[in-house]
Amino acid sequence: MGQAGRLDDVTPVVASSDTRQYRARAGKRSKKQIGLAFIAPFGLLFALVYIVPIIYAAYLSLFRQQLVGGNRFIGLANYRELFRDPQFWDSVGRVFWFTLVQVPIMLILAMALALALDSRRLHGTRFMRVSIFLPYAVPAVVSTLMWGFMLGVKYGLFGSVNNALGTDLNPFTPSTTLISIGVMVTWAFTGFNMLIFYAVLKAVPRELYEAAALDGANEFQVVRRIKLPALRRSLIIAIIFSIIGTFQIFNEPLILPSMVASSGITTHYTPNLYAYKLAFTGSQQGYAAALALVMAAITIAVAYAVQIRGLRNVFDS
Amino acid sequence: MRLHKETRLLSALLGPILVLAACVGCSGGSADGGGGDQQANLTVWSWDGTVAKAVPGFEAENPNIKVKVVNAGSSTDEYTALDNAIQAGSGVPDLAMFEYFALPYFAIPGKLDDLGGFGAESLQKDYVAAAWNDVTVNGKVYGLPSDYGPSAMFYNEATLKKAGVNKPPATWDEYYQDAKKVRALGGNYYIAQDTGDPFFLLSLIWQAGGRPFKVSGNTVHIDFTDPGTTKAVEFWQKMLDEGLVNTKVTAWSDDWNRTLNDGTLASQTMGGWLTSTLPERAPHAAGRFKVALMPQWAQGDEVGSENGGSSFGIPAAAQHKAAAYKFLKYFTHDAGLTPRVAAGAFVPDTSVLESKDAQSKANTYFGGQKVGAVLAEASKSVATGWQYPPFFEWARVTYGDLVSKFYTTGKGSLAQILEEWKQRMTKYGNDQGFKVD
Repeated sequence: MGQAGRLDDVTPVVASSDTRQYRARAGKRSKKQIGLAFIAPFGLLFALVYIVPIIYAAYLSLFRQQLVGGNRFIGLANYRELFRDPQFWDSVGRVFWFTLVQVPIMLILAMALALALDSRRLHGTRFMRVSIFLPYAVPAVVSTLMWGFMLGVKYGLFGSVNNALGTDLNPFTPSTTLISIGVMVTWAFTGFNMLIFYAVLKAVPRELYEAAALDGANEFQVVRRIKLPALRRSLIIAIIFSIIGTFQIFNEPLILPSMVASSGITTHYTPNLYAYKLAFTGSQQGYAAALALVMAAITIAVAYAVQIRGLRNVFDS
Repeated sequence: MRLHKETRLLSALLGPILVLAACVGCSGGSADGGGGDQQANLTVWSWDGTVAKAVPGFEAENPNIKVKVVNAGSSTDEYTALDNAIQAGSGVPDLAMFEYFALPYFAIPGKLDDLGGFGAESLQKDYVAAAWNDVTVNGKVYGLPSDYGPSAMFYNEATLKKAGVNKPPATWDEYYQDAKKVRALGGNYYIAQDTGDPFFLLSLIWQAGGRPFKVSGNTVHIDFTDPGTTKAVEFWQKMLDEGLVNTKVTAWSDDWNRTLNDGTLASQTMGGWLTSTLPERAPHAAGRFKVALMPQWAQGDEVGSENGGSSFGIPAAAQHKAAAYKFLKYFTHDAGLTPRVAAGAFVPDTSVLESKDAQSKANTYFGGQKVGAVLAEASKSVATGWQYPPFFEWARVTYGDLVSKFYTTGKGSLAQILEEWKQRMTKYGNDQGFKVD
């Protein structure tokens, strides 16, 4: 602005086409600068809390911290080692299978609940909505402790069930622990996803239902032809968030071993737990940083693949 | 919308990296400070509750030193906190507690002060030989022993009698025979429990003469095939294979308390410190438990080993080192021992072990047995020459990973696990700059 004003002072005589053009360009540039100024606070914070730490993690991942000899630059050796590390792939494989099983169950459940709430045939929907969502507000540490007590065979619900029925069920053996964690995660996040779906359903214009009713559609047809198609986009978002969430499982396997013995939870049970143990038990921060970056790349790749595929399907239909 | 979505996606993805980067972002730097006799406020990190009992007496003797005992977590938690404080260069305590196996981890990279400068070497004769061995790393003293865990066998006399065993097994052969008799009682009766406790297995190896870790400077040699190790491992493998050990009940669990209380667990071979814990764990078994030396590998021997025990050292970055040493010596060697022992501490100081009080005091929980005399004998018979690799803190966590599958599924063998453990340690140790083979 100021620049343009000064320009007027210098060339007051004739407003040639040349100066007019110049003035217009200057105006555009200053507008751009104002825009930059507006996003600067965000940009600064974003750089400070996202970009810089990532760069720092990438930098760290090129070093090896040693008890003897201190930090040593080792180039990409951490990455090479990571790709050959059976513990790392064990943990990746575990969360992968976990995601494949748990996410569909949770989302189908959430969708069913959202449809039920939206059906307007239930009483006390508000209470239900809140109570189903409530677990999401419980910190994971607390919920893990709670479920640990509940599922534990020593003092918990399962202990009583076993006593009463004479059974020998144990939710925390090496082959069942992952299922138990699945139950905990599903409990915690079903309500959150349900709320997303419910909000989308609420936004469906009521006229569509009226039209459907006039056409003689029954409730199932309404669900199939109107509600489910409406949920499609949000479903993809929910899937992506769920994948990210399950790939990062950490609290449950961290806390459970101190509650139940022989649960089969190793230090490399999930990638995040492995990174944590590497950094804080093994003081291998460089290796842990490499792991975190590779894991982020894997998660981004998987989430992106889902997004691209999912959205293409949406547009196809 | 698009930007917003991606930002959220990004933030969800990058959470762990941020946490990691934030925590390792600190660089070294140390504050060195002299001690002298001027005013000093000491911070002591201890999860041993008896240390605080020595403070009033010490402060009365040294009015210019104030001592604050803080529980900064037990074991691994404390070591992690200390490592972080040292890296950050602030918040480092003047004294910190270390299990014996953890001392080399801090001593070798120079994170602890050599106590030789304070004249600690002259105290050697006042401690049990093996305990002094525990605080000596590469020929230098890095801590003073503060509590001790000579292996001993705590046995339920009533259960053994019920099984037809009238005296505690003196050898491991007898132990094996007795185990079968206890098992013959059926139900949940077992002579022992084990779910893969590395310290128990190592105490067997230690006693059998195995020395799987040989440490000299930065060189670590690991070998789980020497005759002593093999003897101990094969014996315990046999016990497990024949189903003579309860592998369902883990020590310190609620179930463990129950089996100790109802007498189905006939014995527990553990550190002497169990003396003060057992009455809390098994109040209903009062009068039934007795203590004996751990069974021997050969008739007539008297060789012991350790299971646990800890020491205190002065971090190199501590502020008030002279005052810290003064307090350290006070509660591990001098007058501070009395209130600590009264509060239940078991210490490797010969002055305490040989005192008339410790030798002749009848323990009512143990049916009036003179427990102190047995544990003093166990302490003095602990074989020397045992070493832990400097990365044992990491190694024991890894052992848990390896062993859990064997104890829950029965697939594999202890010898295989130890071999795998060795490979993991070798790789880790070499990565950490040691020479491990």
